[in-house]
Amino acid sequence: MALLKHVATHRGVETAFGKIIPEKEAYSYCLRTIAAFSANIFQVMRLLNDDWEDRTSQICEIANMMNCAACAGGEDELFQYLNAFYDEWNIPELVKRAAWIGGIWGDYGDEAEDMAGRVIQFTENRVEKELDSCPWDIVGSEMCNMTTAMFTANFDIAAGGEHGAITNDVQLNMCEARGCGNPHCRVVAERLDHFNLEHQGWLDHRGQPTQPVHDTPPERRVRHAQGLRNGQYVQAFGEENSLEWQYNWVAQMGWVWSISFPLIAIRDMAEDDDEFERILRIVFATAGKNAFVDFFAREGLRNWLDIPREIGDNDPRVMGAYIDAMLGCQLVPHEWEAFDAEGVEIRVSQEDFEGRFEMAPLEEITMGYEAQWNGACHTLVSPEWSVWIDEDDDDYIINVGRKVDDRAL
Amino acid sequence: MLFKDDEVARAEAKAVRENAGWYRWTHDLVEVSGPDAERFLDWMLVNRIAGTPEGRGKYTTMLDEKGQIIDDLVAFNRGGLWWLSTLYGPHAVRWFDAHNEGFDVTYQDVTQAWDMYAVQGPNSGKVMAALLDEPVDDLKRFQIVERHVGQTAVVVDRGGFTGELGFELYCARKDSAAIAEAIAAAAAPFDAPRLTTLEVYVRSLPMEKGMALRQDYKGLTPYEANLGWSVHMDKDFFGKEALAAAHEAGERRAFVGLEIERESYEDIAQKEIVYKRGVPVGYTPAFIYGYTVDKNIGFGVVDARKCPIGTRVTIGGNASPAVVVEPKWC
Repeated sequence: MALLKHVATHRGVETAFGKIIPEKEAYSYCLRTIAAFSANIFQVMRLLNDDWEDRTSQICEIANMMNCAACAGGEDELFQYLNAFYDEWNIPELVKRAAWIGGIWGDYGDEAEDMAGRVIQFTENRVEKELDSCPWDIVGSEMCNMTTAMFTANFDIAAGGEHGAITNDVQLNMCEARGCGNPHCRVVAERLDHFNLEHQGWLDHRGQPTQPVHDTPPERRVRHAQGLRNGQYVQAFGEENSLEWQYNWVAQMGWVWSISFPLIAIRDMAEDDDEFERILRIVFATAGKNAFVDFFAREGLRNWLDIPREIGDNDPRVMGAYIDAMLGCQLVPHEWEAFDAEGVEIRVSQEDFEGRFEMAPLEEITMGYEAQWNGACHTLVSPEWSVWIDEDDDDYIINVGRKVDDRAL
Repeated sequence: MLFKDDEVARAEAKAVRENAGWYRWTHDLVEVSGPDAERFLDWMLVNRIAGTPEGRGKYTTMLDEKGQIIDDLVAFNRGGLWWLSTLYGPHAVRWFDAHNEGFDVTYQDVTQAWDMYAVQGPNSGKVMAALLDEPVDDLKRFQIVERHVGQTAVVVDRGGFTGELGFELYCARKDSAAIAEAIAAAAAPFDAPRLTTLEVYVRSLPMEKGMALRQDYKGLTPYEANLGWSVHMDKDFFGKEALAAAHEAGERRAFVGLEIERESYEDIAQKEIVYKRGVPVGYTPAFIYGYTVDKNIGFGVVDARKCPIGTRVTIGGNASPAVVVEPKWC
């Protein structure tokens, strides 16, 4: 019997030590790192504004406006935008597509972001979506509210209403949210005229629906979305997205909706840019320090990256390999400039590092990760080593090196 | 997703099976005309379209270069003008654009010009008699005629997607609200409700009768999809050579029914993996609750050799137990 010519090839992210992180695992990790970044940004917001209602309302308004702006334009442009969307997803006329675009739109985004679940009900008058998992469930209640404001935008767009205002004919309630401790996220849309309901304000989206919900029993719940379960997402009308497409999509869009949009409001909550940046660095540095205080976290990382025992605990390559794996899983192209016991240098273009979604670059990514990785380095490796980011023409050089700082924070 | 305890959905399904029900149901509609229209459609579609009498329609599939199904539709001959009722018109138009060389033919997606209502169920003929200026109960399946609702011109065919006696009524978009009102008035004396639960009339009622949407057949040949009866190998059509070769080699996959042996099926989405003794053997295009048969039912595309009728399988990550059955429940 002839032997195979070679082993099967599969996609994955290669660590600094040659171990392959499988594509699905890398995708999951990418999602969680974006969610963790978002969680830090929301902590910054809470320090800047201690009024839950006020800050939630502000980010809701921005998220709604930015979602609407994404397809702004004249009536013709909006029509073309919607038609292109219907066409892309093969959404036929029979579903009253204009009225329910929000319900359809959200599904492929949820699935790409591993918010795994199901459309429980899809009728002319009511849509119920139930999610069993959400990588963003660590961010907090303001985020859960904000996502409902984004769904509202989808309905607003379809209704052709005034951007930034709630003009649609549907009441949307995220009546459960995993980020608030519920077993599920559950969003219910109910038509105002059919259920005799009122238009909602930004803070009204956590109410209960008029009709009973269907609660999926624990043994039927899913741990991951279709892509991670089955290798692709298939929408109800048969159109498919590959796992590869979904991964690339979230590596861009995850930064936009969960960080870029709320940041517009959060920056305005600070007295000036200096105050915002000072608080941002403190929050991210603390998050970094706490990531590796436990010995099992350090051991776990070594195991995950397959770091050989010849490389000791107090070696900059441990931190360098961690940053490399994070960048790799986040699909950020980068290259090694140095990787030895003296230090690590990683070159990455500024455009790639900050412009995960090309049209909306985020300088906060550099500020945040510089502080977070520096903090992490002090517990993962030792306080003898630091992380800092230098500019080099259009590139950044991410350094792991020795640095004495008498005022180290 | 429909559930056993959804009484609204159950009542709607029951109305269609035992009495009558009506709903807005708009296939996309592609109009084909020109001197070569009939010849063109005969080439693009596997069923014999040439010679279809005026006022009659035929169910058929459309194939790609690999002989695999990319659409299923009904082609109606409306006197030199052809109507194709398909799930999604823009795809058909793009496909025609790519393969119209040598044909004097024009076509356009006219979905936005027409609206459509379906009246379905054993008593649907009575509702139509109360609605229209002339009866339609003697129509043959896929026969299409012109009628009036009051003064408004409409087009009616005998067809539908529920497996029951039924009719589809086309009207101009501008007349849609008035027509809906007229149907409601005609249906009221028969207690025939308007259906509002999309999945009852798009999935549950059709699936019980073995009727699939085109996406369920994606990647299958007509033979694998149990639609070999519609293939006319004695004429030329697009994809014929590849289909003949695949048929000659034998069908590798089978389009089957799957019955879930659990109370519910929330963990099953489109294209969930089907396992036999822990080994992947196929996938599920769709699942739904069937209120007539009171079961969680679905379609499966499985390895034809490994999964004869009666095979026990599991579906998805939670290993929902199921059995392979014929893809028609009532």
